[in-house]
Amino acid sequence: MLELPTFTLVTWGLATALTLFLLLRIFLLGLYRTYPLFTLYLGANLLQTIIGVYLYQSYGFRTIYGYRMGWTTQAFVVMVRGLATAEICYRILGKFKGIWALAVRLLVTCGGIVLISTLYFGIRSYQLAVITLDMSLEASIATWIVGLLLFARYYDVAVERETGMIGLGLGLLSCCKLLNDLVFERYVQAYLNSWNYVSSAAFIGILLLWTWALRKPAAAYTATEPALNSAQVYQLLIPQVNRKLSALNRQLSQFWRAESSKP
Amino acid sequence: MNVVFYFVAVAAGLALVGLLFWAVRGAAQRKSFDHNSGGLDNVPSPVNNMAQIRQSMDPADFEFAKAKGGRELPARLRRERRRVTLLYLVAIRKDFEHSLRVARFIAVLSPEVSSSQEYERIRLAMIFRWRLQVIKIRLILGLIPQPQLTALWQMAASLAMQMEETMAKLGERAALAAELALQSEKQ
Repeated sequence: MLELPTFTLVTWGLATALTLFLLLRIFLLGLYRTYPLFTLYLGANLLQTIIGVYLYQSYGFRTIYGYRMGWTTQAFVVMVRGLATAEICYRILGKFKGIWALAVRLLVTCGGIVLISTLYFGIRSYQLAVITLDMSLEASIATWIVGLLLFARYYDVAVERETGMIGLGLGLLSCCKLLNDLVFERYVQAYLNSWNYVSSAAFIGILLLWTWALRKPAAAYTATEPALNSAQVYQLLIPQVNRKLSALNRQLSQFWRAESSKP
Repeated sequence: MNVVFYFVAVAAGLALVGLLFWAVRGAAQRKSFDHNSGGLDNVPSPVNNMAQIRQSMDPADFEFAKAKGGRELPARLRRERRRVTLLYLVAIRKDFEHSLRVARFIAVLSPEVSSSQEYERIRLAMIFRWRLQVIKIRLILGLIPQPQLTALWQMAASLAMQMEETMAKLGERAALAAELALQSEKQ
């Protein structure tokens, strides 16, 4: 641990203390029932730090074994963060069954395309493959979150402030990590310590955002379930609306042509 | 790593951050969906002013003013007509947007939605908005083809009215269903 710069140790310590504080708050306010996977993600993060401290104390920071184990635990944390993201997505759109099914299809497809294309175009060497994988996962998580919030915006769906803040934090964290990985991958040697600083600073900022957002007990976050119509209403009305909109567009295109053909 | 990919990925990452903030803005202030929410509010429709708008755009009126009013009147009339037409386009757009909002409302409250129908509506709305903007710019720069514009407006107004009627019927059905449920609970 001694080979690590003091500033790195300080940021790690601060991030760990904040995570611990947030977890305690979540348990005391009963929020783990509302956000179980998000709680699991924070727990996984804490566990990763404990494992990291043990590994770096036993094997050193700049050994191959430490590197491998560090990235393996990171893979687990990213996967649990993916689950937490899915939980947030479900909490925002899940009660609207129709658009939720559509959003899942679209977001999984978009996330998959981003994951595969980042892996395909980003890979350069086996040494950095794990960073490329991390980058791909971060890119897909960010795509899910942004796609979900765009969906909610398009359909005018109200998002609970706390859920929105958790979503914003998860999305920002993924974007920061993605950009950080990109710079690290390119300027690997010169950027080695800065990678840790940027990563830790972003995480501390987001932990503060979550701590501020999650300050009320669980009872305050119970959302009302909307009364859904029968499926026939959609099947009956929407094709009519689309036909009308299409006719309106045709009318507009006639107007357009009339305008264009003027001398 | 490919240089092109690197710059594309950095730009995409920054774009994602921007989109994230844009998408989350005002998310908590949106109204929740229920049958009494703002989703079904009527927008002020230009249907009530149709007669006056038509009158102001009547070519006969224009010819008469040209014959009787001397040199300055036709130019002033042209400016006025352009202004009215622009207002008219704003009203058409409002009607269109209102119909889209109602359609989204129906989609959100439906247990099943068709991706092709949703995609089609997004596509139509994008084309409509783009064309409307171009027509607006052309109107500011040029002349007004009156018959096409009136037909366009009538389409938008009929769509808005039809949607409002349908939503009113839906509201009645929902009220009836609630009443029936209440009666069965009492029994």
